[in-house]
Amino acid sequence: MKKASELQYGEKLKISEIDFTHPSSQRILEIGFTPGQEIELIIRPLFNDPLAFSVRGSLIAIRKDEADCIKVA
Amino acid sequence: MNMQTTEKIPFITLVGPPNSGKTTLFNYLSGKNYKTVNYPGATVEYSISKLLKKFNINVNIIDSPGIVSLNAHSPDERISIDALFNHPLFGQPELVVVTVDSSQLSRHLLLVKQLQNCGFNLIVALTMSDMLWKKQQEISLSKLRIILGCEVIRIDGRTGEGINNLLNAISVHLEKKKSINDKPVLNHLTNNDRHSLLNIYKEIEQIENDVVFEIDANGNGFNLEAANAELKLITPAAGRKTKYTLDAATLKIDKILLHPKLGAVFFFLIMSATFASIFWLADPLMGMVDDFFALLSNETAALLGNNWFSDFVSSGIISGTGSVLVFLPQILILFLILGLLEDSGYLARGAMIVDKPLSKIGLNGKSFVPMLSGFACAIPAMLAARTIPNRRERLLTIFILPLMSCSARLPVYALLIAFLLPSDQLWLGGIILAAIYIFSISSSIIIAGILNKFKNKIVKEDDNSSFIIELPAYRKPKLSFILTNSYMNAKIYIQKAGPVILGFSIILWFLTYFPNTNPEIDTNGLTGSEIIQAQEVERLSTSYASELGKIIQPFMTPIGMDWRVGVSLIAAFAAREVFVSSLALIFKVTDGNENTLQESMLRSMRDAEVGNTGQKLFTTATITGLIIFFVFALQCLSTVAVSKKETGGWRIPVLQVIIFTSLAYSLTFITVNGLRALGVN
Repeated sequence: MKKASELQYGEKLKISEIDFTHPSSQRILEIGFTPGQEIELIIRPLFNDPLAFSVRGSLIAIRKDEADCIKVA
Repeated sequence: MNMQTTEKIPFITLVGPPNSGKTTLFNYLSGKNYKTVNYPGATVEYSISKLLKKFNINVNIIDSPGIVSLNAHSPDERISIDALFNHPLFGQPELVVVTVDSSQLSRHLLLVKQLQNCGFNLIVALTMSDMLWKKQQEISLSKLRIILGCEVIRIDGRTGEGINNLLNAISVHLEKKKSINDKPVLNHLTNNDRHSLLNIYKEIEQIENDVVFEIDANGNGFNLEAANAELKLITPAAGRKTKYTLDAATLKIDKILLHPKLGAVFFFLIMSATFASIFWLADPLMGMVDDFFALLSNETAALLGNNWFSDFVSSGIISGTGSVLVFLPQILILFLILGLLEDSGYLARGAMIVDKPLSKIGLNGKSFVPMLSGFACAIPAMLAARTIPNRRERLLTIFILPLMSCSARLPVYALLIAFLLPSDQLWLGGIILAAIYIFSISSSIIIAGILNKFKNKIVKEDDNSSFIIELPAYRKPKLSFILTNSYMNAKIYIQKAGPVILGFSIILWFLTYFPNTNPEIDTNGLTGSEIIQAQEVERLSTSYASELGKIIQPFMTPIGMDWRVGVSLIAAFAAREVFVSSLALIFKVTDGNENTLQESMLRSMRDAEVGNTGQKLFTTATITGLIIFFVFALQCLSTVAVSKKETGGWRIPVLQVIIFTSLAYSLTFITVNGLRALGVN
């Protein structure tokens, strides 16, 4: 199991859990990152942060430290 | 009477996630007749409109900022949610219209389900079907209607397609409602916890399986009815039949525009093009407005003769109006470009690119849009800062917004730069102006960085810093929509700033004209126009303005200026561009042979001397000093008022005025005296 922030380009993995101790976890859930969904790293811009993931057919940008609380496997 | 009739009209609230086409729909329904009650003094903060007359339904419709869920993470979301549950004026809506992006059904249904669980009466407006078709998918409306148990209408707010169906559904609903008593809605926190969210998303996944289906790759002649009919025969298979896909074109464009290295280059190019077009497009238009009012003022003065009324109309009212309208082209063009960037989908990406560097100085990627708007006007920019969830970051953004070079500074810079340049080198003006902008951006970054060091003193509490934003699919911007938006912004600006600026121009006119309206002078050997000129000089030097000016003279001397500049600087606290009209009044721009107001102003400015010392008042040193002053000083009462309202107290605006104005004064002092010491005069 690893963090979403550790995904490589083009690597698609399913979300296994969300770390609910992170203060951003509620918004992360609301925006569509729910366990069971497949996510893919699409954009890693200048400075490597924030990262953009494909989730539920949308492109969502999220800071690296926030992406840390999304566990994928 | 009027109040009563408005209260009886049913009202509808329009809600939707960001980028779901909500505002486009609102603009279509309201025409250009909505009222944004957003400005200081207003207690209600939403766009309210009646439906257009041609639609023939008598309701009030309310638009408010986009929301992801019923859980507010930032002040703008709080406003929307409050509008839903307990609107200060209207209470609870009879009906809620939710916009849902068809291609993002999977995420946007969350809000629909939450609203339903709270017990609102809903109509779902499905937007952007074209984006879904591009993904070769389709939604069965009839099935979605049955599953959700509410009306679902496919619309296109850009073309107006499907709007009639939506309006029918609204009137049918309102008719039906007359007989039924409303049951109160539940508190918005009822289905906001983690488990409810997970459950709702499970439900949504099931709904998607039932209503979304693939269509033919060459689905041009695709028959919706037939497909719907056919679908009813098929029992949905277990598991998801359709795949989530991103818009293919968007992925390709992002490969370039958000490239790890090239992305920064494109960002820089797009921003440079934005600012360059503001200068180059707005400049000739501003010249035209300026020329027009100069002509009008001269003609009126000639027509009405030499008396106080003539002077009041030509110098007070007409020139005052001119100074309101002169920066209109720039505001229009800036909002036009902002609209293009937003509507095309780039603005969110720009915010993403700058998030990391901005977070280093205590700001947020979401400060990007407010900062960009700040180049038009700090007032809408401060309102835009509501989208920043973290309070400290939001306050810091609001704090530095007055440093963004707003359009009101442009007429001032234009005049001062014109003074610096010989008439054969006017092309240099654009470059100097660009340099001023770069200087003000760098200064604001440095100041933000310094303030960030003292952040614990500015805002005590610290909450979670977050940047989560949807990057919408790229779309071809719809020009008419953007034009309407720019027009609305410009209109709001004129309505709000106009009266203040005009009012101050008139007060200033009064201060410079009275009490000695008919000064006695020695007319021996003077021609007609020389008499008028001598009278004007005498009148001004015995006026209230000069009395006022003498009080501030001690502050002006160290920076190489006199009371006349001082009075203009004080007048500029109404709004910065008043500085120009004020100088025009004080340096009594008379007829002359010059074509424009500016030329005759420059002439009298070149002749002006400090007292009777023979030393020129306006030199390269003092003009440069004035430019520096305008870069830093917070000279806008409206900004102070909005800052107080948005930060919830006097602390921040008072700090802003003190810090920026004293910074402006000391840097001007250093600049003027430094340049003089170097022999520049």
